[in-house]
Amino acid sequence: MKKSNKLGLCLLALMLMLTACGGNSGTQTGGTPDNTPQGGKAAGNGEKVTISFMHFKSDFTDGMNKIVEQFETENPDIKVDVQPVKYDDYYTLLKTKMAGGDVVDVFTLNAGAQTKLFVDGGYLEDLSGKPFLSNFEQSVVDSQKTDGKNYIMPMNANPIAVFYNKQIFSELGIEVPRTYDAMIAAAEKVKAAGKTPFALGWKDGWTLGMWIGRDLPSNTALVANQPDFFEKLETGEVKFADNPAIKTTIQHAKELFALGNKDQLGVDYNGVVDLFAKGEAAMMYMGTWPLADIQKKNPDIYNNMGYFPYPFSNDEKLNKLEFNPDASLAISSKSQHKEAAEKFLAFMASKEGGDLLVKNINSLSYVKGTDTNIAPAVNDLKPYFDSGDMYDSQVYLAKTTIDWSGQLIQNLQKLFFNKATEDEVIQAMDNWVQKNHK
Amino acid sequence: MANLKRIIRGELWYVLFLIPGLALFTLAVLVPLGMGVGYSMTSWDGLSPSAKYIGWSNYTRALADSDLWSALWNTFKYAIVITILVNVIALLLALLLDSYLKFKNVFRTVFFLPGVISIVLSGFIWKYNYAIGIPNLFSYFGVELTSPLGDPDYALLGLIIIAVWQGIGSPMIIYIAGLQGVPGELLESARIDGANTTRTFWHITLPLIAPSITINMLLVLTGALKVFDLVYVTTQGGPAFSTEVITTYIFKISFSSFQAGYGTALSMIFFLILVIVTVVQISIFRRREVDL
Repeated sequence: MKKSNKLGLCLLALMLMLTACGGNSGTQTGGTPDNTPQGGKAAGNGEKVTISFMHFKSDFTDGMNKIVEQFETENPDIKVDVQPVKYDDYYTLLKTKMAGGDVVDVFTLNAGAQTKLFVDGGYLEDLSGKPFLSNFEQSVVDSQKTDGKNYIMPMNANPIAVFYNKQIFSELGIEVPRTYDAMIAAAEKVKAAGKTPFALGWKDGWTLGMWIGRDLPSNTALVANQPDFFEKLETGEVKFADNPAIKTTIQHAKELFALGNKDQLGVDYNGVVDLFAKGEAAMMYMGTWPLADIQKKNPDIYNNMGYFPYPFSNDEKLNKLEFNPDASLAISSKSQHKEAAEKFLAFMASKEGGDLLVKNINSLSYVKGTDTNIAPAVNDLKPYFDSGDMYDSQVYLAKTTIDWSGQLIQNLQKLFFNKATEDEVIQAMDNWVQKNHK
Repeated sequence: MANLKRIIRGELWYVLFLIPGLALFTLAVLVPLGMGVGYSMTSWDGLSPSAKYIGWSNYTRALADSDLWSALWNTFKYAIVITILVNVIALLLALLLDSYLKFKNVFRTVFFLPGVISIVLSGFIWKYNYAIGIPNLFSYFGVELTSPLGDPDYALLGLIIIAVWQGIGSPMIIYIAGLQGVPGELLESARIDGANTTRTFWHITLPLIAPSITINMLLVLTGALKVFDLVYVTTQGGPAFSTEVITTYIFKISFSSFQAGYGTALSMIFFLILVIVTVVQISIFRRREVDL
């Protein structure tokens, strides 16, 4: 009798365990149809609905939270569970979640290749024709279409250009350079004066990646006139060896490396922002994100720094301002609270949401009529904003999923330390492409 | 026959106690392993709902993948150096801390402390140390230093220093425990027979702590072969592929190049390599052990 009691207890425990597992997987995979209307009703009845919002602006965790708080006070029936993730790990985490059946209601994406991957997987809700899209310039909305439909809503955009220390420039009598050669000549002058010409921060992969991810496509499409090079690269129609721009970029990389801060591959992003904020470095190629940091560390530099478009070529007419969409917003096709998620997107697309974004995350909003005055340095770019002398080098990469930049970074590092010649780098890149993408 | 039945009736219910553990092991280890084998035969991109079966071609591709071999070479270089350094240093510290030393408990704690810090955290601490802390310190003495992590020739060495600093704690404790198990009368009789300290160590202490050596060698070597977190937070395989180990290579293939199928195949190969290394290592070291 006793024995069978124990046996029963064991079985009970086992069953509990199994049901626990079963129940779990049920809620995860089931974006079941009978749940969806429930969620919708709840939103209408004033019951609290919780939507999850994952974003990669983790540098601005507090700023994003402030925007979300404002949304929550205006929509008391919706609670937003914000999950900031560092950009380097963002897509890995998001993909794992999606492939594992976890539902994130709203999340940020980059327009282009990453979005295409999620569209192909069927994870995104079609937003075409939604009323909030009319708050953006039609050209921007069109440029973010995937397969002719809008799956994402543009959120913010960043100029990526070169910050410079106005004091160093005026002391040495340097004009703001408009061509690549002029920039290098300026850098040589700075070096001769005993200061650091370029704050590089190439210890982090993304700083170098951000630069080659713009210098190479710009030179490829605009100087070498091969705008579809990267598409063809993926299908194997062309090779890096066929592209004269790769030599230009390698040359540029060598020059920047030689004129960079000491210990180029040992100092990271935070290190160079420090260096620049201390007034020891003359130039830094970067988006607008270090502005808040620089303001905190040294207000003098913050008020006395400028910003000029990165001259990737020696043709002044080509050297326009690089202006890239940063984060766009998407709704999961498996979301159970699509109505609430759309409300959130509509809020972000409103003038109020756009202004909050500009104020809290130091970035420019795509919403029509929002503020552009984010920092003194950015005002230097006003002529370019006004005249529309802007371009987006990332469109030349939009149709490719091939991740060549990570590979090129490592091969360039070989070159920096004389472990490979230019031709070997190009050869290594072509071998890699051939092996990884048929 | 009746005997057998009685045994089954009397003893079989013990098996029931195994079921929860067995179920957990099956769900958490065996099932994912089986699924992994399945995925390794596909060209899955890691995200799309369906995966195309392509047979063994991921495995044949791996054999011809020169990047894989250089990653494996880096991994073994790293793991072997660490295994030797950690064991030698941990054994020396253990000998020191097992003797009659003042404050030996304090020292034990001090040497064990880095092991308590998570690897990710120590990676960040040392990244800062290398880039800013140590160069600033040495600049007071007029010595210009740069971070080893920024130079392809020294990056792996930089990682090894972090791993040794972090990893000597627990092997040291195991060695101390082993040393305390060596009977004093054996050492004393050796000394009466005229053996000096070195000879006593080689012929008595070392054979008697052989089980500790086996387990430490095994734990440190397999742990070092599986290194991922330390490399990922400090160098991400760079600069110039100099610290690209097998795990970071698999991670890049799976998540940056969208080739989860190939990445899984590489994981399977790596799993086999680990099994082989472990079996060979155990069989070598077991032979040297002495039973008291």
